[in-house]
Amino acid sequence: MYGGGNVFETMKATALADEDPVKLAEFEARIDRGEKIEPTDWMPQLYRKQLIRMIEQHAHSEIIGALPEGTWITRAPGFKRKLALMAKVQDEVGHGQLLYSAAETLGKSREQMIQDLISGKSKYSNIFNYPAFTWADSCFISWLVDAGAIVNQVANSKGSYGPYCRALERICAEESFHLKYGHHCVIHLATGTKKQREMMQAAVNRWWAPMMHFFGPSDKISVHSEILMRWKVKMASNDECRQQFLDMYVPKIWELGLTIPDEKLKKNQETGQWEFTEPDWEEFKRVINGDGPCNKERLAVRRIAEERGRWVRQALLAPKSKYVTPLA
Amino acid sequence: MNTEGIKDLLYKMADDQLIIGHRNSEWTGFGPLLEEDIAFSSMAQDKVGQSYQLYNILNELGEADPDTIAFMRNADQFHNCQLVELPNGEYDFSLVRHFLFDTAELLRFQMLSNSSFEPLANLSRKIKGETKYHSMHANIWIKQLGSATEESISRLQSALEYALPFALGIFEPSSHEQDLINEGIFEGEDALKNKWIEVITAVINETRLSLPDFKSITPVYGGRMGKHTEHLQPLLEEMSEVFKVDPTSDW
Amino acid sequence: MLKSLDPRVNRLNLPEQFEAPMASIEALDQFETYQAFVQLKEGKPFEHAGIVHAPNEEMAFLFAKEQYTRRGMICNALCVVKTESIMVSEITDNGQDVYDSFSGSFSEDDSASFEIFHLLKRGKQHKYIGNVKAKDFEDALLASKQLYPRTKPVYNVWVVRSEDILMSEPEDADLWNTLKEKQYREAIAYKAADKIKAFKEEQA
Ligand SMILES: [Fe+2]
Ligand SMILES: [Fe+2]
Ligand SMILES: [Fe+2]
Repeated sequence: MYGGGNVFETMKATALADEDPVKLAEFEARIDRGEKIEPTDWMPQLYRKQLIRMIEQHAHSEIIGALPEGTWITRAPGFKRKLALMAKVQDEVGHGQLLYSAAETLGKSREQMIQDLISGKSKYSNIFNYPAFTWADSCFISWLVDAGAIVNQVANSKGSYGPYCRALERICAEESFHLKYGHHCVIHLATGTKKQREMMQAAVNRWWAPMMHFFGPSDKISVHSEILMRWKVKMASNDECRQQFLDMYVPKIWELGLTIPDEKLKKNQETGQWEFTEPDWEEFKRVINGDGPCNKERLAVRRIAEERGRWVRQALLAPKSKYVTPLA
Repeated sequence: MNTEGIKDLLYKMADDQLIIGHRNSEWTGFGPLLEEDIAFSSMAQDKVGQSYQLYNILNELGEADPDTIAFMRNADQFHNCQLVELPNGEYDFSLVRHFLFDTAELLRFQMLSNSSFEPLANLSRKIKGETKYHSMHANIWIKQLGSATEESISRLQSALEYALPFALGIFEPSSHEQDLINEGIFEGEDALKNKWIEVITAVINETRLSLPDFKSITPVYGGRMGKHTEHLQPLLEEMSEVFKVDPTSDW
Repeated sequence: MLKSLDPRVNRLNLPEQFEAPMASIEALDQFETYQAFVQLKEGKPFEHAGIVHAPNEEMAFLFAKEQYTRRGMICNALCVVKTESIMVSEITDNGQDVYDSFSGSFSEDDSASFEIFHLLKRGKQHKYIGNVKAKDFEDALLASKQLYPRTKPVYNVWVVRSEDILMSEPEDADLWNTLKEKQYREAIAYKAADKIKAFKEEQA
């Protein structure tokens, strides 16, 4: 998931009762052997449903994620940054395309997913509901939001569903450019003039809370998450991802002389765990449910793009063409 | 070597690529289809990249560095044709402009790959694959939408009629035309325009769109001399907003 | 009008509030899907890369070129096939060769031409194996079973009629000739360790 905090379907305890026990056992044995599941394999309904949800949310996060950084596309300073930002945002749209394709193999069409995004029925990563006020915000996103996404994506690329893994393999390869580019931008601002430093510090201050929200609240250990872990749908807990992110990136932020707006943030040398102020999960919920600074704008942009593109798609739609679920 | 003439040619080409590249980049994330969004962004990158290469050649001829030339001039110092600075509008106009402009771009670079001015000939050969893709992309789209539904045909037709006078502005002659031709640097805007009309006509003839008589159109000139629409200056300010916070610092 | 920090968005003139939810259309405007296959280098086998949505194969080619091969210097050729035109075999697992389940023998009727793709490991992409001449799809599987000896199990086979493939022309290879200046798309172009070092020294 591009960002943790996936919203999974609440499961009933009886969810598996209707499944054929022989097929279910074969399915689980395949996963235990470390073999991937492919689209034409038999799979439990619950597995299909949760995967569609997760991959769809990931795909939405990519195309909505293209918007905050896109805010600075026309204004990126100088040729090098301009070209790189264009390529980076283009990649994010490309990731969306790859992920929708992976979700489509499970039987939900891309257009249906996009409709569900616009109607608010399906979610995307919370962090993209915050605005990119200055160029430095876009640098923060390119480096650190992508870094957070990479932690998640690398974990998920070891999951059990073949098409999702293949999409993530391609995505992770491109993310290494995003990460390096973003870091490069932040380094230049943080080690630059006073004005540039201030810009960068202000962006860190604005984005830290959303960044901590990004991985989602602590997962409650439940029967359900146990099944998702056993089926290799969910590969790492939200807390594990957050800890890994802090471990890899807090030192890199500090070495640039930037401060992080959390006085409690420190690594406990005994436990090896990072300690921090508990994020405000009420705000997280509020924003996810539509009341963030940019929710309205993000969906409005998607909707306008969809509506303005409709005549183009309608014109090209051959009367006898039919949509077929992609193969892999 | 006619340096003044070469510079003039390079400036107008580079400014065209820079401005249309910026306009096209505005589509990233807003396209009619995810796949097209990606394709359009690649072409925008190619164009901005090409403008950088052209400014680099200018830099070697003694002009300022590419970032300074691109981001520190005002509209009246820009030599792009007005076609490229017009706002994107909807996809119909963006597509028609892409078709009209990129056909000229392909032909111009093809002509220049035999230029006696080696740096330009070199660059033209290097970007052959890029310009070929752009024009392939434009032609396929125009052929499809230009023969699809009543709506797509009438949208493209009005976009075409609106854009053509501006498109003829691409070929606004400069005072160096004859010198460039004599020295084998560039065959000249007139020769380019004639080839362009031929290609445009051939593509349009495969659609249900129609072209007016070119002689009846008054070209919109002025861009090459620094005369622009009200849309260019705000775009330039936008493009350089961050850069100008401190042009000497490293971003 | 909705006011955005993004000047591009401001030019879209978004309403502050939409009057009604987006109109739903009776049929979703979705195109056919095409599977794209990429050949990285001359002589290497084509490998499945992914899909694109497109109204026809020409456009599928245009789109696949940018979606799957835009990072330069890594492509020699590209082809697209409508998903509907691909015949998919059963899928096996756990070391079981899917060819074992095809019984019968090849008709020796070589009236049609087919291209064969194998899945050699679950989770990986299908790879191009070769061409066979046969009567129909089933027959092509049998022909392939006979023609291409296997040392490792094959888990899944795709069969495509040769005529259903849209392949780039050899002279299109220049589409993938990119400027070395396109390095801005690669991680390798972003080195700044010396800047950090200098900064730290200055701070110390
Ligand atoms: Fe991404
Ligand atoms: Fe990102
Ligand atoms: Fe990314």
